[in-house]
Amino acid sequence: MENYQSYIESGQLEAYAFGELDAAARAEVEAVAARSPEVRAELDELLAGLGVYAQAHAIAPPAALRERVLGRVLAEIRADQSARAPSAAPVEPVAAPEAAPVVPPPTPTMRVSASNPQNAPTIAAASAAGPYAGQAQRSGWAIAASVALLLSLVGNVLFYNRWQQASSALVAVQSSQDRLAQTTQVMERRLSGSEQQLRVLRSPDFRPVLLAGTKTHPEARARVLYDPAAHRVFLDVARLPALPAGHQYQLWAIVAGKPVDAGMLTAATTTGTGLQQMKDIGSAQAFAMTIEPTGGSLNPTMSTMTVIGNT
Amino acid sequence: MRCLAPGRAARLLSLHFLPVSDLSPISVPTAAEAALVERLRARDESAMTEFYDRYSAALYGVIQRIVPDEDDAADVLQEALVKIWHSMTGYDASRGRLFTWVVNISRNLAIDKIRSRQHRVGTRTDSLDDSLTAQRQAAPDSFRPDHVGLREITEKLIPEQRQVIDLLYFGGFTQSEAAEELNLPLGTVKTRARTALKVLAKLIR
Repeated sequence: MENYQSYIESGQLEAYAFGELDAAARAEVEAVAARSPEVRAELDELLAGLGVYAQAHAIAPPAALRERVLGRVLAEIRADQSARAPSAAPVEPVAAPEAAPVVPPPTPTMRVSASNPQNAPTIAAASAAGPYAGQAQRSGWAIAASVALLLSLVGNVLFYNRWQQASSALVAVQSSQDRLAQTTQVMERRLSGSEQQLRVLRSPDFRPVLLAGTKTHPEARARVLYDPAAHRVFLDVARLPALPAGHQYQLWAIVAGKPVDAGMLTAATTTGTGLQQMKDIGSAQAFAMTIEPTGGSLNPTMSTMTVIGNT
Repeated sequence: MRCLAPGRAARLLSLHFLPVSDLSPISVPTAAEAALVERLRARDESAMTEFYDRYSAALYGVIQRIVPDEDDAADVLQEALVKIWHSMTGYDASRGRLFTWVVNISRNLAIDKIRSRQHRVGTRTDSLDDSLTAQRQAAPDSFRPDHVGLREITEKLIPEQRQVIDLLYFGGFTQSEAAEELNLPLGTVKTRARTALKVLAKLIR
């Protein structure tokens, strides 16, 4: 049975934390930690403390560095991706400290991954001392990399064109969709208007009052739909003569013998396009229409009376 | 056992929606971290940009302590980012936090760099270094409640402890080498290192 306390005090865990150990020794520490919760806890504590220490020294790199460093990093990783540099036989032995993590993955994986990064950056950094065995092999790779890069550039151009086409098609679709949405809105407004008129026409509360043409306007005809309980008045024009500019039809309700303004007719109503709701009228004995100047008059111009009807 | 949110869910969880300045990388929630890892593995370049914005300060800080020259530090940072990108398949979340892993990659590359020049870092706990670092640090500690800054480190650790962990961490000395350098028994070095780390671990909020 291992004495974990003495192991903890041996300094091996600190050596692990400070990166002193080689791969085999690291694996051993991890194995012990896996076996013993006390060792695991101690190791975690040491690593946490070291993390605090590292973080305490954090310095934001100068702003100029961001573009330079990040730019180069992105360029390098893109170059590697398009060159698709394979991990050939790792020629460079991992003699230099592997820069493997303090808590590394299992040894075999680590070796592979440690050697991978060795190769990829060196392929990208063409100036680095060639890790490859021979000159021929090196230029062979360079040619292959260049060809791959060229192909990818061609591919980029093709895809860019396709993307542009798709993009403008998308814009076209979007604008036609907008137009469609607008049309839908207009239709909906018209539909709700028609539904309202239908309700009025079908409602038993509304009494139709026929307005017949006067002697001066025998052809004229209109209809009032009158709800005396709710005081609602709707006007439906069958036929009315068109008016010269500056004139407008006005509806009157005869209440207790006196004419009461019931509202002006809109141009649409005058042509018979749909019902128009007029002013509310308490109790009318009759309805009539006269021709007044645009905007209406306080009193009807009796000589112009066009239609009249009793309720 | 890793628990990763697939594709779209990962993007939703992604750190993208968290303001970068609000969170030290060390305290990023594991779900968000897993989402970032996922995107990096998927070769999502925007993930690298986000990684830079979130982690570069921590990495640069460590690198710069080891490789003081700014241009060299920038080079190491660049190398580290590329290496991290290429090694993503080797990162196993069940073995530790992303932060730990990437800081170590950066630190090791930095140590490589100074070793390749046969340059050894001496004792580096002069207060001058700290004040310089403190000046250049992004935000005062008071605005980042989760961030343990150097000021607090200085308060909580005794100079002898700092001396030891600076040699070990930023100097890349082994415990034996540090004992030799500081003319101390090996046991003392081990104890100081261990105590220091445990004190630091308690500062986590």
